[in-house]
Amino acid sequence: MATDRSNEGSNALRRLLQRPVNRMETLSEAAYAYILLIPAFILLAIVAFYPLIATFRMSLLADETAGADPFGEFVGIQNYIDVFTGDTRLTREFVDVGLSGSFPFLELGTPFLRQALFVTLAFAILSVIFETLIGFGQALVLDKEFRGRRWVRVAIILPWAIPVAIQGMLFYLIFQPTVGFGSDLMQWLGIFGSSPLASSRDGFIIVLVADIWKTAAFMALLILAGLQSVDRSLYDVARVSGASPWQRFKMITLPIVMPALLVAMLFRTLDAMRVYGVIDSTVGCSTVPSLTCLVVDGLFGGTRIYATAATVAFMTAVIIGLFVIVYLWRFRETEGGFA
Amino acid sequence: MSEESAAEKLKEYSPGEEPELDRGPLEQWAANMISNPERAYKSMFYTATVFFLVTTLFPFYWLLMVALTQRGSLQNIIFLPGSFDPTLLAEGEVTMGINFFAFVEVFTTVPFHRYIFNSFVIAAVTTVIVIVVASLAGYVFGRLQFRFKGPLMLLVLIVSFFPPAAFFIPLNQLFNTPVDVMRPILADGTLYNTPYAMLIPFSALFMPLSIFILTTFYSQIPDGLEDAARVEGTTRIGALFRVIAPLSAPGVATAGVLTFIAVYNEYFFSSLMTDGREHNWAPLVEGILRYQGQHEVLFNLMAAASIAGVIPVALLVVVAQEKIVSGLTSGALKE
Repeated sequence: MATDRSNEGSNALRRLLQRPVNRMETLSEAAYAYILLIPAFILLAIVAFYPLIATFRMSLLADETAGADPFGEFVGIQNYIDVFTGDTRLTREFVDVGLSGSFPFLELGTPFLRQALFVTLAFAILSVIFETLIGFGQALVLDKEFRGRRWVRVAIILPWAIPVAIQGMLFYLIFQPTVGFGSDLMQWLGIFGSSPLASSRDGFIIVLVADIWKTAAFMALLILAGLQSVDRSLYDVARVSGASPWQRFKMITLPIVMPALLVAMLFRTLDAMRVYGVIDSTVGCSTVPSLTCLVVDGLFGGTRIYATAATVAFMTAVIIGLFVIVYLWRFRETEGGFA
Repeated sequence: MSEESAAEKLKEYSPGEEPELDRGPLEQWAANMISNPERAYKSMFYTATVFFLVTTLFPFYWLLMVALTQRGSLQNIIFLPGSFDPTLLAEGEVTMGINFFAFVEVFTTVPFHRYIFNSFVIAAVTTVIVIVVASLAGYVFGRLQFRFKGPLMLLVLIVSFFPPAAFFIPLNQLFNTPVDVMRPILADGTLYNTPYAMLIPFSALFMPLSIFILTTFYSQIPDGLEDAARVEGTTRIGALFRVIAPLSAPGVATAGVLTFIAVYNEYFFSSLMTDGREHNWAPLVEGILRYQGQHEVLFNLMAAASIAGVIPVALLVVVAQEKIVSGLTSGALKE
């Protein structure tokens, strides 16, 4: 009896579900695609698109530092021009480049690593290169079968699992001259000057090392996932045909891993261009100013320059967009690629 | 070892044996040692493994040493706690100046376990939402053909162009606006001080990465497998969750682990969406920041707290990586 009734119930439920499910089955591919995208885009609309539109509106208003309302009248793109020409009350220059008569015809007003744009670009390029190389090495190690692999895997992933606040504290302490050993080591190697936590150049290296230590594991995990979808029998075929390990890597591993590798590099670049936490918690935004540092500084620095902060946020997005075009162009070329 | 490899050689060339089947790691290693050029790659492999282990683990070891150091003697810590002094043993102190008590203090001064629990719940729920929603989107972008596919993908990606701070002011206003409909569920009708104030932004902000990962992996599954499932009578959605997603297990597990850890460790929104008290769902970061006392920063407690906070993630990685390894078999199903 009980089973009969539950069957009846599930039949009723099935009938109720049948109609939308049936309709789903007969939809055209495009309509089906749009329906499946609805949840993702509802979430993105509330959390991302709406705030971005609001922030963009802010960036077109003037800063009002005295009145109750932090925004003044509509000024159009004046904020964007001001940020470029350095005519703002931000604590650091966004970019400060002048033209000169002699080679290379560009002259930096403020030193390279005191300008947000250059710090961010240098950080993004160097960290992504190192993290990709190290992450690929780690992934190749983890892809091998060996005893204790599970623990090696945990050990390699562990830095990625550490909160940014702790990572910052860790590297701050390591390079803190009285507590840690890092500064002594680097000075002995002749890389660091006398006060590493206050120097832009040494601070930049500290931030870079801290970031590579933590996020190489992110690259490793994604590349590893790509490696694991390689059909093992391909290697046997290659071995029988007499391919050397290097040839096997170049002809089999690399092409199959490429899509995952590009996704990993793309998102690492996006994150590196928005670097903030690791800087804030180690050497501080005034020593190594990144683009996000300027945004946070404008929003929470107590100077009430919200409109300028919003402007810098959008300029950051535009610069990142220029970078991404390169990746999207590569995506098109990979097999099974999208777009 | 030469005897063993000789035996291995004999075994390998004995007639009717299939050398590729069922090799243990040691046998595999021995077999590889025979073919000479591999030897160089082997030693390279071990050097790399040791190098990676030392560079990733040493800072953790050092962090442990900081945690075990007594407050006030944080100086020149390299291999031992700063307050370590073997001569204290003669004076009857068994701990020799090592402050094991820090790991107890972590939980008595601040209810740190509650912060870990909060972060764990928020990260777990966010991961489930992200994986389900991103699976749908990844399937669409990876396997279906339709107009506006490129522009829609770009729209998803653009979210990741902006510093998190760019979302903050409008979102903060939104979450502090009382909504009458929510009054029965939420104390004052606003989302501030509730887990939803973190769940919702995290679900959206970490979703683009998962969408792209899943798009890549789902697009690599041969069409034939999906067609076969459809012929067998699965629904369209069923084909996604019963065939495509299980076959992409390494990708799905990786997206899940990356999302979970990213949310668990998130810094910016976590520290702004609650007032920092544990019963208001304040996450791990707030707990760690509470060890910054009024007069001094309790570095040893912060170190101990971070070790305690990393343990749940480490356990998760151990469990999840089993899943990743089990996904290995999926490679065999590829065309």
